Amino acid sequence: MTLARPSTAAPRRGAPSCHGDAPAGGARPGVPVVALVGAPNAGKSTLFNSLTGGSRTVGNWPGTTVEVGRGSWVGTDRCGHPAEVDLLDLPGAYSLDPASPDEQFTADLFTGSGPAGAPDLAVVVADAAHLARSLYLVAQLRERSRRLVVALTMSDVAERRGITVDADALAAALGVPVVELDPRRRSGRERLAAVVADALRAPAPPARARQRDGADDDALAVADERFDWVDGVLMTALAERPARPTVTDRVDRWVTAPVLGPLLFLLVMWGVFEATTTVAAPLQDALGTLVSGPVTAAGRGLFDLLGLSGSWAEGLVLDGLVAGVGMLLTFVPLMAIMFALLALLEDSGYLARAALVTDRAMRAVGLPGNAFLPLVVGFGCNVPAISATRILPDARHRIMTALLVPFTSCSARLTVYVLVAATFFPSAAGTVVFGMYLTSILFVVGVGLALRRTLWRTVGQEPLVLDLPAYQRPTLRLTASLTWVRVRAFLRTAGGIIVATVSLVWLLQAVPVHGGSFGAVPPEDSLFAAASRVVAHLFVPAGFGDWHTVGALVVGFVAKEAVLTSWAQTYAAADPTAGLAPDQLQAHVHAAFAASSGGAVTAAVLAFLVFLLAYTPCVATVAAQRREIGVRWAAFGVGLQLTVAWTVAVAVFQVGRLLT
Amino acid sequence: MSERASSRGGQSAGPLRSVLTAFESGARSRTEVCARTGLRRDVVDAAVEHLLRMGRLDARELTVGCPDGGCGSCASGVGDRPGCGAAGPSARRSGPVLVSLSVRRP
Repeated sequence: MTLARPSTAAPRRGAPSCHGDAPAGGARPGVPVVALVGAPNAGKSTLFNSLTGGSRTVGNWPGTTVEVGRGSWVGTDRCGHPAEVDLLDLPGAYSLDPASPDEQFTADLFTGSGPAGAPDLAVVVADAAHLARSLYLVAQLRERSRRLVVALTMSDVAERRGITVDADALAAALGVPVVELDPRRRSGRERLAAVVADALRAPAPPARARQRDGADDDALAVADERFDWVDGVLMTALAERPARPTVTDRVDRWVTAPVLGPLLFLLVMWGVFEATTTVAAPLQDALGTLVSGPVTAAGRGLFDLLGLSGSWAEGLVLDGLVAGVGMLLTFVPLMAIMFALLALLEDSGYLARAALVTDRAMRAVGLPGNAFLPLVVGFGCNVPAISATRILPDARHRIMTALLVPFTSCSARLTVYVLVAATFFPSAAGTVVFGMYLTSILFVVGVGLALRRTLWRTVGQEPLVLDLPAYQRPTLRLTASLTWVRVRAFLRTAGGIIVATVSLVWLLQAVPVHGGSFGAVPPEDSLFAAASRVVAHLFVPAGFGDWHTVGALVVGFVAKEAVLTSWAQTYAAADPTAGLAPDQLQAHVHAAFAASSGGAVTAAVLAFLVFLLAYTPCVATVAAQRREIGVRWAAFGVGLQLTVAWTVAVAVFQVGRLLT
Repeated sequence: MSERASSRGGQSAGPLRSVLTAFESGARSRTEVCARTGLRRDVVDAAVEHLLRMGRLDARELTVGCPDGGCGSCASGVGDRPGCGAAGPSARRSGPVLVSLSVRRP
């Protein structure tokens, strides 16, 4: 017997012919239309294939780009008679709230607002392991008198997770039949056919009554009522074994603890910087020796060969590009190691915990919670971090965060920290670098508090929750990929803006101010030195009022890596007869600080590092600020950074000088 | 009193409002939301997904940025969209991502 359309049922809203222009391959005209619906990955298509066998087609529904499967399903009813239906496999949909063309199509089909009428019966495929997700659709479908059957899949997966679903209790709570089946093993198909046949013969069940009043225009209230109904259904039909704490839960108990968590985070970050500086040091030395030795010698030989020895071109290439950019390239191993370690932390899931404990500290001092994301990004690079402030809905939060981002210590500053730390604190370089990152956090917190208490006293808190993923073994592919992307970006900077900056600095160093010819002037008599000396007076109270040092800081406005290249090319030009080995550069820098600090070298170096950390990161950051918060706030930001950097640097030097 | 009972003046709110209230009152993780609301993890997960679809919650990736801000080809990005602060978990990432959820005002 063919499944007849029940004579007792309410008049059919959608005749099978309405679907006649749908993908071919369905059942004969006149047989009932049954639609399989459900959330993606609930096993709907597997069930469809299992029920229709080879008798199916898949194609776009006429007039849409929505792909619908259609086939004839011939089962048997409870009496053993053949029962044929026209089966539709609708696209995955979590709900009838149209968030995509697929969901719009499903919604139109069931509300009868589409070109085709509603099917005679809907089989909602529900994943037993994620029942709450699947039942929202049932809650919506049950708001009208409509024939429904719930096909419960993935019971084995649910069982393994300690979830037991009582199908009878679920059916009673939902008010519609529930059939447990496993489409992968083709079990339960006969029961489903019988239950569908019964349901098609019976009148549609009445619509469920809403538990709470909610105006239809209050989408949240309406959705909340549905979830409340789903929660009630689950309470009666679902039993869950108390979940045993996972490895992630056990580790997180320690890693995210209020006191131990931050301490552990500090220890991990100290380990990262210690490992980075220790492992990279010999590689960096080897590369430095290569650049200052064979590469420079080969270049000098080439210029000799070309008859250009002693020319300005040789000065530009060897004292500028090779010494400056070459010095920067010696930091590639260091950057690669640090990026790889950070990628490992990120990929393992630890970074999320670090974010949690840091966020907690920031909230404790009243900083807006959602400003946290751009600030974290800022530790990689300030430019995307400024762009990331767009996610903040409140304009005051956006401005305040964009002003705070430059105080986060980007990876470009790391190169200078490492050189200075290796020069003055060789046995504790990693600890010094780690200290700079801590100082960066203190700057963000301190300046943030100062802004809140002056400019934005009424800035409120935005709620934010950090979703912690389970720990996992880091993947080599992702770690290598992230490391390479970041190293490549570093190389791109070195090859682009740094080459241009080095060329400009060389040009300024080639212009004489006290007589002499272009390109044949000692660096101390150049325009670069003269301009740097003028600015250097400002830094005498900070202990580093030496023109070499201040000139490098001025060049650092372009990009922080340029501080290094400026030093390298200035000192290389001072002795053009030989290449500048890394230890020679360090000796020059040491001598400059010794001379400018009046003997309080450590205090001057710390003051310099603090200034380097807090003053304007680079022109690209200022441009990003101008774009995001306007020229006036960007200018205010530059003034703020310079004021804070100079004031704190002077304080560090003056206090340090008294203590030493 | 749990967030669930207290979110509407003692009258029991539904799971969606309870989850939102838990976030607004400082819950930091889904586990904490479960503890505060008394809801099953499955229901909290479904509620969070639904609130994201409704636009009442905002999920963004959190990664450290690139040195030059050139994110177009970043491994943690999707297409030409940056990985840093991109909306939702990227399809390309194989590792876990940090998703921050912030409550949007209606």
